Amino acid sequence: MPIESPLHPLHVAAGAKFADFAGWSMPLEYTGVVSEHTAVREAVGVFDVSHLGTLMVRGPVDILNTVLTNDLSRLADGQAQYTLCLNESGGVVDDLIAYRISDHEFLLIPNAANCAEVAQRLGRSGLTVSDVTREIAIIAVQGPDSDALVAELGVPQLEYMSFGTAEVAGVQCTVCRTGYTGERGVEILAPVDAAGDVWSAVVSGGAMPCGLGARDTLRTEMGYPLHGHELLPDVPARWSSVSWAVAPDKGDFVGRAAYVAAEADEKVVGLKVTERGVPRPHMVVTANGREVGMTTSGTFSPTLKTGIALARVSRDVSVGDTVQINVRGREVGAEVIKLPFVPARVRG
Amino acid sequence: MTPDDRRFTREHEWVIAMDNGNVRVGITDFAQDALGDVVFVALPEVGSSVSVGDAVGEVESTKSVSEIYAPVSGTVVARNDAVETAPETVNADPYEGGWLFVLQPDDPEAVESLLSAEDYEALVHEI
Repeated sequence: MPIESPLHPLHVAAGAKFADFAGWSMPLEYTGVVSEHTAVREAVGVFDVSHLGTLMVRGPVDILNTVLTNDLSRLADGQAQYTLCLNESGGVVDDLIAYRISDHEFLLIPNAANCAEVAQRLGRSGLTVSDVTREIAIIAVQGPDSDALVAELGVPQLEYMSFGTAEVAGVQCTVCRTGYTGERGVEILAPVDAAGDVWSAVVSGGAMPCGLGARDTLRTEMGYPLHGHELLPDVPARWSSVSWAVAPDKGDFVGRAAYVAAEADEKVVGLKVTERGVPRPHMVVTANGREVGMTTSGTFSPTLKTGIALARVSRDVSVGDTVQINVRGREVGAEVIKLPFVPARVRG
Repeated sequence: MTPDDRRFTREHEWVIAMDNGNVRVGITDFAQDALGDVVFVALPEVGSSVSVGDAVGEVESTKSVSEIYAPVSGTVVARNDAVETAPETVNADPYEGGWLFVLQPDDPEAVESLLSAEDYEALVHEI
């Protein structure tokens, strides 16, 4: 039996279609991916992402810094950071958000599928790890109108990538100014027994319920990597264009030696289709008849009204180049673009 | 809900006979609902000759692609270019405005062997 979100009955009542995500039955869509996507770009939407892992970690920051790639010592308490967990060969175990509560207390949000392995690696390094995934619901409120909506519910103003505790609709929550859509927004961590009140208050405040289908089209437009697609355990992190999440100078961490030694032979770029066609993952990319890479994610962009893809390509492919994507036997032209496809509006 | 003025295939297409003996083809309400928001449609060329079961087009949503199969053998005599520019019509009006193409069947009787509305509903019910 798949695991159900604590908000599952509300999703059923709202007419959601469900899909399996790493063993969880989660809403894929309610009214439709396009209208949900558009609500987040133009107004405000709300996502249930309770399937994401929630790990409470206790121990010195210096130890946690040996398991994760980014530098947690650069954060002030109350700030969060995008980071990676690498394996010994420099591949990506997972990508996650790390919240720094204090110099010895952290909250990590790994992907559902990788939560157990991340927890295991943290435990092995001597940290105290408590998996509280099943105790916490995560509600992401995203879109240009999200600030006004959550302010109305009692959330104080937060800087981008910072968090605090707040009473939301009468429920004590942790609220972080993060997201996976490229729009302004917060992610609210609520205790499962009261999470329905938070969700209902956000929906009553005008947010459109959005499924994980729209979350994927939104993140693809931003060029945000997804583990299992752009990030893989058997592909060097160096080849996935995530250097901004790696601090090789901070001191040693698992996978550092392999990361530093790896040649940047490949990279992840954005491909904007210039003809009719929708690319999907694992399609061959060619330039002048020569194979140069493979798509890792692909969909139709509701914002640009054209096919878009993320692709891992050889390093000699440049922004502005024209390439071909083999879409089920048909060569579809695309332009290599500088990511994101749609400008990010997360800050300010 | 399933209109009883036409026939259906196991691939969730509908086929309606027109007065001139040609057949118009589209996808069912069940199919459009399962796909989600249709964002891309590729249709066969007018004049192309197709055999029953051939993949002749594609209907794609943001998350997946579904091939369109020729429900009977014949020649493509018309296509609904409007759904290429406004694919959402397939969701909004699958049985009328969201039609995909028209075939001139090689065998005018072939349509009769397809599923009735009742049989199709039974099929969908099993899914």
